[in-house]
Amino acid sequence: MNELKTINKDKLHQLFDKLIADGNDVIAPKRKSEKVFFGKIISSSDICYDYIQTAFSAKSSVFPKCEELFSYEKNDNEIKHLDPVFSDKTTIVFGSRPCDSASFDYLKVFFLKENPDFHFAKRYDSTLLISMTCNKSDEHCFCTSVGISPSDTKGSDVSLTDLENGEFLAEIISDKGKKFVADYSSFFENKGDISQKSNKNAKVDIKFDLDKLKTKIKGSFDWDTWDKQSLACLGCGACAFACPTCTCFDIQDEASPKSGSRIRIWDTCALSLFTLHASGHNPRENQAGRWRNRVLHKFEYTDTKFDMVSCVGCGRCIKTCPASMNIINQVISIMEA
Amino acid sequence: MCNCNNNMYIPYPMRIAKITDEAPSVKTFRLEFANPDDKDKFSFKAGQFGEYSVYGEGESTFCIASSPTRKDYIECTFRQAGRVTNALANCEEGDIIGFRGPYGNTFPIDQWKGKNIVFIAGGIGLPPIRCVIWNALDLRDNFNDITIVYGARKVEDLVYKHELAEWEARKDVNLLVTVDPGGETPDWKGKVGFVPAILKEAAPSAQNSVALVCGPPIMIKLSLPVLFELGFNEDSIFTTLENRMKCGIGKCGHCTVGPYYVCKDGPVLSYRELMALPQEY
Repeated sequence: MNELKTINKDKLHQLFDKLIADGNDVIAPKRKSEKVFFGKIISSSDICYDYIQTAFSAKSSVFPKCEELFSYEKNDNEIKHLDPVFSDKTTIVFGSRPCDSASFDYLKVFFLKENPDFHFAKRYDSTLLISMTCNKSDEHCFCTSVGISPSDTKGSDVSLTDLENGEFLAEIISDKGKKFVADYSSFFENKGDISQKSNKNAKVDIKFDLDKLKTKIKGSFDWDTWDKQSLACLGCGACAFACPTCTCFDIQDEASPKSGSRIRIWDTCALSLFTLHASGHNPRENQAGRWRNRVLHKFEYTDTKFDMVSCVGCGRCIKTCPASMNIINQVISIMEA
Repeated sequence: MCNCNNNMYIPYPMRIAKITDEAPSVKTFRLEFANPDDKDKFSFKAGQFGEYSVYGEGESTFCIASSPTRKDYIECTFRQAGRVTNALANCEEGDIIGFRGPYGNTFPIDQWKGKNIVFIAGGIGLPPIRCVIWNALDLRDNFNDITIVYGARKVEDLVYKHELAEWEARKDVNLLVTVDPGGETPDWKGKVGFVPAILKEAAPSAQNSVALVCGPPIMIKLSLPVLFELGFNEDSIFTTLENRMKCGIGKCGHCTVGPYYVCKDGPVLSYRELMALPQEY
């Protein structure tokens, strides 16, 4: 059983304002015209609660769209490399949904299990994830099909549930969460009833049987159905940029010969340039192969490698796709083949 | 906390000690560690690769073409094909470039003691194999017969011309150099013909032998049936793969072949391992 507490909205906002005043970064859902995005807030009043899901996940707080790997200064034959400067303060990510929080669990394994990634580790270690369970869902949600649920606490440090009476139920999940709540104990109340949670949380129908999919997908590489399935794909990569678990990146120099930075930026296997050799040979020569790589990577390759399916069922790729590609229909068609 | 304090993207500064023009647009750099401490810490094995960078331009992936038995330097051979390789080609002796590595797996050369080794290479496919050739020649007593079949489209495209002459002169190396029909010059004294045909003519024994093949896909494809006919099998034929790479350490996703990462699970593969891969290389 996780330790339970409650916190009311006023106290929660006072807590965020204090954290901000103490120099910490607080990343929370913010409204920007029609959509809600994660962003750094300067006051608790910036927080938006009216969202089923943010347009993008909070992945960029631990794996930014663009980040410096190192900087350098070069004078003739002297070269000096400098690590990027990481803040020694905590970054608090507030309001991520269970699907996105679960993606942090995957990202942690992907980046740290072997050849630990220095930059990810620095950011991950200083990030505290205060997630929010889902009281609503939409037609694209399929977390329950990939082993996650609207009430899931996986990946969170502290998991809140909106009791819709001005109070939040707080489940303390990780050691990091325990330390945080202990440090700010005056904001929390020592009560809470876990049964209140299930009354509030949304129900999401299971759309496919994951175990059956895992069996069927093995050996699907050579199927000729990928051509047809990928016909609509424009190769724009929008799905990957919206995906909470996509991790591919490019490395480039942003610099002059005398000084500058080597940076990494998000990249995606959906793009034809991703695998193009300097010779002109492209091992993944058509969009069918690229779409297949995306699907198999999510549902087969990472499962084999890490025992983790790298899809959290957030449905963003479906919402984002300008050509109405639908990963749920794709996996159902694999299962029915 | 993961206690990860090593920024693995920071390269070793390397001084270009020597530049050799090998063929049109192909150069070899001999690189020495600018910091002696780096040199002491560094070691690699035959078959590994690295990321070479020009500050301000970016990184490019090449094998280490020199032998691990030569400890004072590393060498790489590259063809000018893009932004980074063009920038590298503009460097001069004495310039500092970046190198990080070694990455990837290695040829199981320790298991080849007492065996015959057959090297088969085409064009710019020789550098990854040259690393093993010198490794074997520097430890010559450990191995039995050494046969090298190397070909290029034209005489001018042959790389390591001085070393080819050196190997030719050695009694303990059986070297066959060939150029494609029409690629010969009036004074060409080597063979004329495609690599698979020359390999068939040479007919090295498959008894107690391993074969290393690296070159253009068509050369590999047509050399394999010849090797099988000679009696080589799935476990005695090795190659080294190449795919576009960025990080070299299994993170960036560029080099994947199905679930495999060429940078970590490769680049060296036996024919048996190669056949188990999906067609994405």
